[in-house]
Amino acid sequence: MFYKIIQKRKIFLTISAVVILFSLIALIVWGLKFGIDFTGGTIMEVRYLSVKIDNNQQIIDKLKDLKLENLSVQLTGENGAVMRFKDVDEETHQKILTVLNEIGDLEEISFHSMGPMIGRELTNKARWSVILATLCILLYVAWSFRKLSKVIKQGESWRYAFGAIFSLFHDIIIIVGFYAVMGHFRQMEFNSLAIAAILTVLGYSVNDTIVVYDRIRENILAQGGRDLEEVVNKSLNETIARTFNTTLTTIFAILAVALFGGVSTRDFAFAMAVGVLTGAYSSISIAASFLLFNRKGLNRK
Amino acid sequence: MSQSNKNWTLLIVIILITIFSLLVNIPRVPSWVPLSQWFTKQKIHLGLDLQGGTQLIYQTDTTNIPGDQREAAVEGARDVIERRVNFFGVSEPVIHTVKAENEWRLVVELPGIRNVKEAIEMIGETPILEFREQASSKPLSDQEKKDRENYNQQAEQKASEILKKVLKSGADFSALAKEYSEDEGSGNQGGDLGWFGKGAMIPEFEKAAFALKKGEVTKQLVESFFGYHIIKKFDERKTADGKEEIKASHILIETQSLEIDLSNPQSQWQYTGLTGKQLKSAQVSFGGNTNESEVSLEFNEEGTKLFGEITQRNIGKPVAIFLDGVPISVPTVRETITGGKAVITGNFNIKEVKELAQRLSAGALPVAINLVSQQNIGPSLGRLSVNKSFVAGIIGLLAVMIFMITFYGFYGLIASIALLIYALINMAVYKLLPVTLTLSAIAGFIISLGMAVDANVLIFERVKDEKRLGKFGGTAINDGFRHAWTAIRDGNVTTLITCFILYYFGTGLIRGFGLTLGLGVILSMFTAITVTRNLLKLFNK
Repeated sequence: MFYKIIQKRKIFLTISAVVILFSLIALIVWGLKFGIDFTGGTIMEVRYLSVKIDNNQQIIDKLKDLKLENLSVQLTGENGAVMRFKDVDEETHQKILTVLNEIGDLEEISFHSMGPMIGRELTNKARWSVILATLCILLYVAWSFRKLSKVIKQGESWRYAFGAIFSLFHDIIIIVGFYAVMGHFRQMEFNSLAIAAILTVLGYSVNDTIVVYDRIRENILAQGGRDLEEVVNKSLNETIARTFNTTLTTIFAILAVALFGGVSTRDFAFAMAVGVLTGAYSSISIAASFLLFNRKGLNRK
Repeated sequence: MSQSNKNWTLLIVIILITIFSLLVNIPRVPSWVPLSQWFTKQKIHLGLDLQGGTQLIYQTDTTNIPGDQREAAVEGARDVIERRVNFFGVSEPVIHTVKAENEWRLVVELPGIRNVKEAIEMIGETPILEFREQASSKPLSDQEKKDRENYNQQAEQKASEILKKVLKSGADFSALAKEYSEDEGSGNQGGDLGWFGKGAMIPEFEKAAFALKKGEVTKQLVESFFGYHIIKKFDERKTADGKEEIKASHILIETQSLEIDLSNPQSQWQYTGLTGKQLKSAQVSFGGNTNESEVSLEFNEEGTKLFGEITQRNIGKPVAIFLDGVPISVPTVRETITGGKAVITGNFNIKEVKELAQRLSAGALPVAINLVSQQNIGPSLGRLSVNKSFVAGIIGLLAVMIFMITFYGFYGLIASIALLIYALINMAVYKLLPVTLTLSAIAGFIISLGMAVDANVLIFERVKDEKRLGKFGGTAINDGFRHAWTAIRDGNVTTLITCFILYYFGTGLIRGFGLTLGLGVILSMFTAITVTRNLLKLFNK
C-alpha cells in the first residue's frame, strides 16, 4: 500500500550528486557576482522624463570625463538606466547628476554608494551567521531527538542531527550554485539579500527534514518495525502529502514576492523558491537516506 | 467549566483580539468607538525604501579614545548630529549607533529629504572639539629609543640641508616651506603663521622668532618639542596697547619624542573625555589685554566638573584644545578652573572667530566622522514599491487560501480564517511595536504566510490519519493536534533560530526580514494552534 520511495534512494542520491557537482563547477568556473554591499561601489538608477533613451553609449559618453572606475550602464525598461561604478563622494555624485541632466530632464530613482570596508565586514558576518545557525540547528536536533537514545543505542540522535546538517549543506551548495549560474547568465548579484535567502532556506530545509524525522521517530518509538528501511519508507509515505502541500503554498507566497518587481527582491524570491524546492527534495534524498547509510537493522538495545 | 463552555470563552477572546487588531489597522476609526483617537494615532512605520529618503553611514574614528569610553563618545556624537539634523528641519530622523567589530558607526536616516547635498554638508561641517592632556609617559624600550634617535638624527640632517638652501641668497622661503615643511597646516600656506604675539607659541620658538630682524631667517635650527624649525620673520608691529606682534613663517621637520611611547606625533596628547559633547555655548569675545578676538566656551555641568579635574591635575602643564584633529590652542594651566569656562585663542581674524563660535554653538562632535555609505531613494520608487508590495501581500494571501480550501475543503476554510486573523494581528503588531516596514520586512511577512499554513497542513494531515484509524470528531482533532505538535515545535524552533541569527548579525535589510519572519513564526503558532483548533472544535460536527 505504500509507494516505494526510500528503496529508490540511489536514484535520488545520483540526482543530488549531479546537481551538486554542477553547482560546484559553476561556482569554480564562473564564481559569484558579488553585489556592492560586499565589494563596495555605487549603484545609481535614473529615469529620463522628457527624452527617449535607446542607447547606453549616450550615457557612457557623458560620463567619460568623470573617469568613473568600472563603469557599466544598463538600460531599464522604463526609459531609465542603472549605472554601476566605484564608490564616489557626494561631490562626484552631484557632478554625475549635472552631466546626466544635460541629456534631458531626469529623476534620480536611487543612489547607493558604499565603501569597501562595510563589505568586508558583511562577508565576515555572513560567514559567521551561516556557521552559527548550522551549529545551533545541529544542537537543537540532537537534543530534540534524544529520546531515541533510550530505545536505540546511545548517540543515535546525533545521526539525525548530522542527517539534517548534510541535507542543509546540499541545499546551500545548490542555492549558491544557482547564484553562480544566474550571475553568469543573468547578472544576478550575490548580495546581503542572498544571505537572507540562504539563512531562511536553512531554517526551512531543516523544518522539512524534521517533519520527516519526527514521523520516523514516532514510528520507531511506537511500533517495533524491525526493518529500518521499512520504517523510514512508511514515514516518508505518511508525510509526503504534507511536504507537497506546504512546499506548494510556500512557493505561492514566494511567487507573490517576485511580483514586487524590484530586481533585487525578484532575484531574492527566485533563490528562495529554488531553496524551498531543494529543501523538500533533500529531506528525502539526503536526510532520510542518511539514516540508512551503512547499516541495515535498528540496533535496538 | 465544561469543555464546550471553555471553547466558547476562547472564541470570544479570539474575536476580541481580532476586533482590536482590526481597529489598530484601520487608518481612521469612527469617533463612537471607545479609544478611537488612540487607534487612529497608530501609524505604520515605513522604511526609507518605501517612503524615499537618504541613509548616511558614518565611520567614527575612536583611535585616540580609551576602549571603555568609546561608546559614550560615539553616543555623544549621535546626540550632536541629531540636534543638527533636527535644526535642519527633517521630519522624524532616525540616528543610531552600530558597533561593527571594533569600530562604531553612526547610521543617519533622513526620510523624505530632497537636498542630500546640503544635508551631507551640514553634518560634515560639524566641528570636532576635544580637550587633550599630555600623555603620561610610558618608557620606551631600548630598541625603540634607538630607532627614534636614528630617526631624529636623520631629521636633523634633513633640516640642516634645508636650512642651507634657505640661507642661499635669493632662496624662495615660501616655495621651500611648501616643499619641505612637515607642518601641514602652515606648509600649504608657504609656512605662513600669520600675526602672533607673545604667549601664542611654544617658548623655544617664540624666543628665536622674536629675536629675528625683519626679513631675517634663523641661522641655526630651532629645536622644540615638535621638531626642528627654520623661522623667517617678515614683519612686526605694535598693537593698540603697545604689545609687540610679529608676522613669521616656518619650516618644520618633525622629530619623535624620546619619552613618550606614542608613534603618532598627534597622539602625544591623550583623550580626557572632555569634548564638544559637554559644550553648553560658544561666543565671540575679546581678550582682556590684547583685545584679540577669542572664542569663549561654556561647559555644561558634566563638562565643568571634568574641566576642573583636568586643570587640577595638569597645573603647570599644557592642555591642548583640538579642533578637527588639529591643536589650535595649547595653553598652560596656571590654576584649577572650576567655573566651567575656557577660551580658545589663536591666529584668528574676526570672521574666523565668528564662524568658529557659530559652528561650535550648533554642536561639536567628540569624535571625527567619515562618510562611508550613502543611499538615496527617490519618492516615486518608494510609492511604487508600497503599491506593489501591497498587491503582492494580497495575492500571496489569496493564493494560499484558495489552495487550502481546494485541498482541505471545510478544514481549509477554517485555516483560511485563521490565516486572515494571523495577517490582521501581524499588521497590528507592526504598528504597535513598532516594526519599520521595508521591502525585505514585507518579504519576510509574505513568506511567513506560507510557513503559517504549514502548521495547519501538518495538523490536517494528522487529523485525517486519526480518522482513518476510526476516531471521530473531537477525539480525532485532539489526537491529530497532539501528534502534529512535536513536528510543529521543532520546525518552528529551527526557523526561529535562523531568524534570531538574521536579526542579531544582520544589517538593516536582513534585520527587518528576520524580525517579521520571526514574529510571523511566533504568531502563527498561536493562530494555527489556538484559533484553528478552537474553530474546528466548535464547528466540526
